[in-house]
Amino acid sequence: MNCEQLAALYEEYALGVLEGEERAELEAHLARACPTCTPGVAQARWVVAQLALAAPDAQPPASLRGKIMDAVKPSADADAARTVVAIEKPKPSAQRAMFPAWAWIAAAALALVTGYTIRQMNTQNDQLALLRKEMKLASAQNQALQNQLDTDRMVASIMLSPDSMPLKLMPTDKNMPMVHAYWHPHMGVAITADQMPAWPSARTLQLWFVPKTGKPVSIAIFHPDAAGQIALVAPVNMPRNEIAALAVTDEPAGGSPQPTTTPAWVAQVN
Amino acid sequence: MERILQQDSTALETLYDRYGRPVYSLVLRISQHPASAEEIVQDVFLQLWRSADRFQISRGPLEPWLFTMARNRALDFLRLKREKQRRREDSDSDILPAAVVRPDPEGDIDRSRRAEKIRALLSSLPETQRRAIELAFFEGLSHSEIAAATGEALGTVKSWIRGGLLRLRESLGEASS
Repeated sequence: MNCEQLAALYEEYALGVLEGEERAELEAHLARACPTCTPGVAQARWVVAQLALAAPDAQPPASLRGKIMDAVKPSADADAARTVVAIEKPKPSAQRAMFPAWAWIAAAALALVTGYTIRQMNTQNDQLALLRKEMKLASAQNQALQNQLDTDRMVASIMLSPDSMPLKLMPTDKNMPMVHAYWHPHMGVAITADQMPAWPSARTLQLWFVPKTGKPVSIAIFHPDAAGQIALVAPVNMPRNEIAALAVTDEPAGGSPQPTTTPAWVAQVN
Repeated sequence: MERILQQDSTALETLYDRYGRPVYSLVLRISQHPASAEEIVQDVFLQLWRSADRFQISRGPLEPWLFTMARNRALDFLRLKREKQRRREDSDSDILPAAVVRPDPEGDIDRSRRAEKIRALLSSLPETQRRAIELAFFEGLSHSEIAAATGEALGTVKSWIRGGLLRLRESLGEASS
């Protein structure tokens, strides 16, 4: 079966009722990351998940929230408990006991050995902390690469989807490159650009949906990467027919609640 | 989700406040068992907490991911219960109290609109077609199981479900474009 024939089965697959040959055919397309069926099934999963809203509305027991939060806080509580135990340890008596001279010499020797051991332990702890820091950094870098790979895949899925609408965000400064947007009703808006100049770290680019009525809605903040490229996917939280334009403004780092500068890129949507 | 990745428990509270009710409603509809529904919902949110790194915002909205995970967990429970019933002919004494089902005046507006749309769409379908879709979604039955449960031909059941889902797709497509 080709992708066009399989498209009618996406929702049945997402619902879990598809069986036999049809299921196997579709799964074969998904296994080879078919650029039509993969986003098609992702969209179908969204459609089918909406059936959940047909369930009669029910109020969860008030205690459920507390149970969930208690279950995620045991580590914090354990830390607190350890602190309390440490604080509540009985303190040695302030009253000095009477000892013979040999006991003072032995105590001094013991103190020397203890001091040396503590210093050795501190050195080892420092080395261990350094190793942990390096591992954490490597892990974060690995995660960042994985995130970027996932984003690039998602951008490609949206760009290749027949349901996506391409939009060109035209720069107001002719020296700036064009920014491309691909609007998908369920997977989000993919934003791509090349040859962007380096953006100051104290500033950020901010993407807005400009509704036909009302104030602009912030969708994402982003920076071009070191190669001057932009690739991101922002969620769609507004029906397309309610949006007049997409706009990108230059804002202080962290973004602004409302645009503070004239849009640097704009695309008319409706 | 970024805050959950950083194990910020207040972010989980926020997510629960937003999605706890629809997730619980879904799980209760499937399981028909309040105590189990509570356990399943707890499990779903703890799974979200533990596996936040597997879900990234770039993969799409969180809501369908949560609904799908909750549905799968609830259907697993239902299948296990059916298996036990088959073996021991047990019946559950803990039935659904009517008092827990009530309107949601504070619900998310967008979700409420979609819920109305979905309910209206299902209501507009012929009874047999609606029943087939509900058996598939809320009870996890396959085409052939639905055919056996309704006494209809397998081809008819397939046609009902396919037609209903295509209407759902078109209806939601219109809503979001």
